[in-house]
Amino acid sequence: MRYVKRLLSAALCVVLCGTTACRKPAVPPPTEVIVTSARDVPSDPSDAAWQKAPEYTAALVMQDLVEPRQLTATTASVRVRAIGNGTETAFRLEWDDATRDDLPGAARFCDACAVQLPQKVQANVPAPQMGEAGRTVEIAYWNASRQAVVDGRGQSIKDLYPNASVDHYPFEAKPLEKSPTSQAAMTERYAPARAVGNPVANPTSAPVQDLIAEGPGTLSPAPSATSRGKGMRTANGWAVVIVRTTPIASAPLGRTNIALAVWDGAHEEVGARKMRTGWIPAVLPRQPK
Amino acid sequence: MARTYNWQIKREMSYWYPEKRPQRQFAAVFDINKCIACQTCTLACKTTWTSGKGQEYMLWNNVESKPYGFYPLAWDLKLLKAMGAQQWDGDVYAGRTIFEAAPAGSRVLGWRPEDHDYAYPNVGEDDCAGTIEKGASLQVPHLTWFFYLARICNHCTYPACLASCPRGSIYKRPEDGIVLIDQERCRGYRECVKGCPYKKTFFNPMTGTSEKCIACYPKFEKGLVQQCFANCIGKIRLSGYISQPDKASADNPIDYLVHVRKLALPLFPQFGLEPNVYYIPPIHAPASFLQQMFGPKAQEAIQTYRKAAEDPDLAGLLGLFGSTERVVPRWSRQNDWVIGSDESGDEIVRVPLKEPVYIREAFDAKRQIARVNCP
Repeated sequence: MRYVKRLLSAALCVVLCGTTACRKPAVPPPTEVIVTSARDVPSDPSDAAWQKAPEYTAALVMQDLVEPRQLTATTASVRVRAIGNGTETAFRLEWDDATRDDLPGAARFCDACAVQLPQKVQANVPAPQMGEAGRTVEIAYWNASRQAVVDGRGQSIKDLYPNASVDHYPFEAKPLEKSPTSQAAMTERYAPARAVGNPVANPTSAPVQDLIAEGPGTLSPAPSATSRGKGMRTANGWAVVIVRTTPIASAPLGRTNIALAVWDGAHEEVGARKMRTGWIPAVLPRQPK
Repeated sequence: MARTYNWQIKREMSYWYPEKRPQRQFAAVFDINKCIACQTCTLACKTTWTSGKGQEYMLWNNVESKPYGFYPLAWDLKLLKAMGAQQWDGDVYAGRTIFEAAPAGSRVLGWRPEDHDYAYPNVGEDDCAGTIEKGASLQVPHLTWFFYLARICNHCTYPACLASCPRGSIYKRPEDGIVLIDQERCRGYRECVKGCPYKKTFFNPMTGTSEKCIACYPKFEKGLVQQCFANCIGKIRLSGYISQPDKASADNPIDYLVHVRKLALPLFPQFGLEPNVYYIPPIHAPASFLQQMFGPKAQEAIQTYRKAAEDPDLAGLLGLFGSTERVVPRWSRQNDWVIGSDESGDEIVRVPLKEPVYIREAFDAKRQIARVNCP
């Protein structure tokens, strides 16, 4: 009987060894965004450095608190990695999206994503829904159309509508060619948003916009634009890197929070019609390596 | 939602913002019976405001043939269908406005046109779509009918574009009620394009912002009528200011036509926006169609219009349309003359009640030659 017990114990030990004890323990998925320290922050989504950064999967929920509300669940989650060097922090967002939507039109909307952080260190974070009055949030917003322009898409109507036929633009009249100043002034008169300096309207050299907000409907350009980034299509969707200055809200060894949002152009998502997260804890590195 | 009063549907209604009327409200009267769809207004607007890149498809002013013409395609039919039955109880609209029928999560019941909906303005819309029975003859009302509907932004008292914008980028000017999109603030979400039932806000894909009719405010501020008014060769348009019904003044041309004589009516008042372009309905279109388009007073307006020739005041004021490029805020009739004046009573323009007729002999005896009817 004792022999039998020993045999069973040995067998149990073998089984356990085969299932758990003898395997390398699996790394549990991170429960917060951990910013990996590096000397240089990668600005390309395909950079191999991203493999060293742990991936946090953030579930997205519908923005259904303020009108116009998102009442259909679309993009389920976004996978985020982060690398920082003390001065700059790069976030790599990756999500599934079956279609590339980067051509604007009357009813054509563009894919986009954004990273939001609180502007100041405060005991309580501002509302994740674009902040609150007096409690500003900083938002770095990437847009697929702006990326397409940076990647070389032209600035004519034919670049948006290849079959468009235009008879004449008055500011391209032959006599005006002798007076570039007059020609530029006339061109600007027919593009009022550019004439008044709306950052949305001007031809862009960067796919990322720096914005601030103090609640829904208050989004406005940040005092300075420093963020950069790059987005590219993956086999299943988009991978986008947004590089921004390391937030003031996070001292060395500090912690902050980030919130993420994703817009799917194919589902006419724009503005408040989006999939979003709440605040996600983020841990910044002790010192740059 | 706030509770506001809309005099065009004679009841309170829900609106996103509380009632806040401007000090003065720009308004216009279009006499549909005089429009020949020459599109001079359309081109006047186009060349003035929308000749830029990204504006190619935009017609802030357009003229479409009803019932088969649309810009954009089916702009009115799609919304009318979405609204369902629109019942009037006498003068009071008993149905739901587009604000009251807003689906969950939205401020307004709307829809957003596709690119192709803008692609074919006026194409084929004048073609006779019905068969003509054997033995048919010209009669009134016409067996087959259409009329021309000139449209600009209605600079509504309760703009759906303004209510729809989540950023507050659209505003109504307190000095004249003109509705504008702040080109510095707009981020091109196109909620206004979806919300405006008249589809008079347009997305500019080159600048990424939305644009709309500005009622030529640089001219209007100087007391001049809009480009589409000044260039109307049929002289169908009158530009000015409208008062609230209880403050209507008979010497204000717009007040007289809208409030006193009830000759000019709003376009689809049941939408609930209190639009400020008023139409004298066409006299040869079916009553049911006109009632749907202009409300329950359409037939009364037509009866008034039919008798206008016997009414020197009304005939005289209709003659004042298009007689000057200046805005005429006051008018009066003195015997056989109709006089348009400014606010201080100074005369701007004077037109005869009836143009004199000059008859020349067919044969020019002095030159010994027969005259012909050409310059």
